Amino acid sequence: MKFLVTKEPAGTKLITSLMAGVVFFIILYLGFDVVMHAYVIGADIQSVTLTLVGDSENFIEPVLIDTLLLQVHIDLFVTLFALMILTSIFIRFHERASITRWMVHLVFSLGMMTPILLIVAYLGWIWLVPVWISAFVAWHLLACLMGVMVLKKVVFA
Amino acid sequence: MKKSALYAIPIVYLLLYTLMILLSGVWLFLLSQGLASSHSLLLTLNDIIQMPEIKSIKGLIEVATPHLFAMGGLIFVSAHLMLFSTKVSKKVALFVSATLFGFALLDIFSYFMITLGWVVLGWIKLLALLGFLLVFAVLLGLLSVSL
Repeated sequence: MKFLVTKEPAGTKLITSLMAGVVFFIILYLGFDVVMHAYVIGADIQSVTLTLVGDSENFIEPVLIDTLLLQVHIDLFVTLFALMILTSIFIRFHERASITRWMVHLVFSLGMMTPILLIVAYLGWIWLVPVWISAFVAWHLLACLMGVMVLKKVVFA
Repeated sequence: MKKSALYAIPIVYLLLYTLMILLSGVWLFLLSQGLASSHSLLLTLNDIIQMPEIKSIKGLIEVATPHLFAMGGLIFVSAHLMLFSTKVSKKVALFVSATLFGFALLDIFSYFMITLGWVVLGWIKLLALLGFLLVFAVLLGLLSVSL
């Protein structure tokens, strides 16, 4: 982050190429993260609910708290690193835009809320599943948008 | 912080995310020590000290490997932000981060000592975990002061 902030991007082809590369990978990661969660947790309200509470009539056990918490633990870590890199570069290129502040706040808040919502839904507030799905999709879309905005600046500037 | 105020936003969220990661990590550790069955934090802590759960070397390596990268990376990312700080001296930042790296190593490898039979009781794991959490809290405190 310190390097991203202090190095002048206009003067170095290398740093702009590196930024484009890492942002491209983060956009790919975001896409695959959605697919991975669709497989592991579920892709719609019904399948997520089934994963979290199981189905006694069909002898389907709910996911273990250890397994879910491990996923949340990993998600928090990876989300933090991905968003730190993405937002640092985003701020570098969109420092003057007034919406930047709100976009950064929103993407970090939603990214942090999502794993918490999943655990809270598991612990009994199952009606939060649609909120979890919405928040999950929203922060991935917002992060993708930020990534595309950075790529637009870096590649087409 | 000397640079753009906008960079304070990711740093604030870094603090919050780190707290959540530490909390979920501690919760996971306590679950692996029987928190779900004992339903009591004190009982679980006592069990860890008196009779820690038996773990295989394979299981420990599976846990230690990602944590070596993750904890090292998280300490680096958090501590390097002290380079921006105009309120905390670099010497203090260096001392805190070096201590944190030490506690992280001890935390990761302390359970090996139990499994290998070098120590019988589980107090070393709890001590390492507590030390790591406390020093990390100090680092996060220094960062929040620097914002």
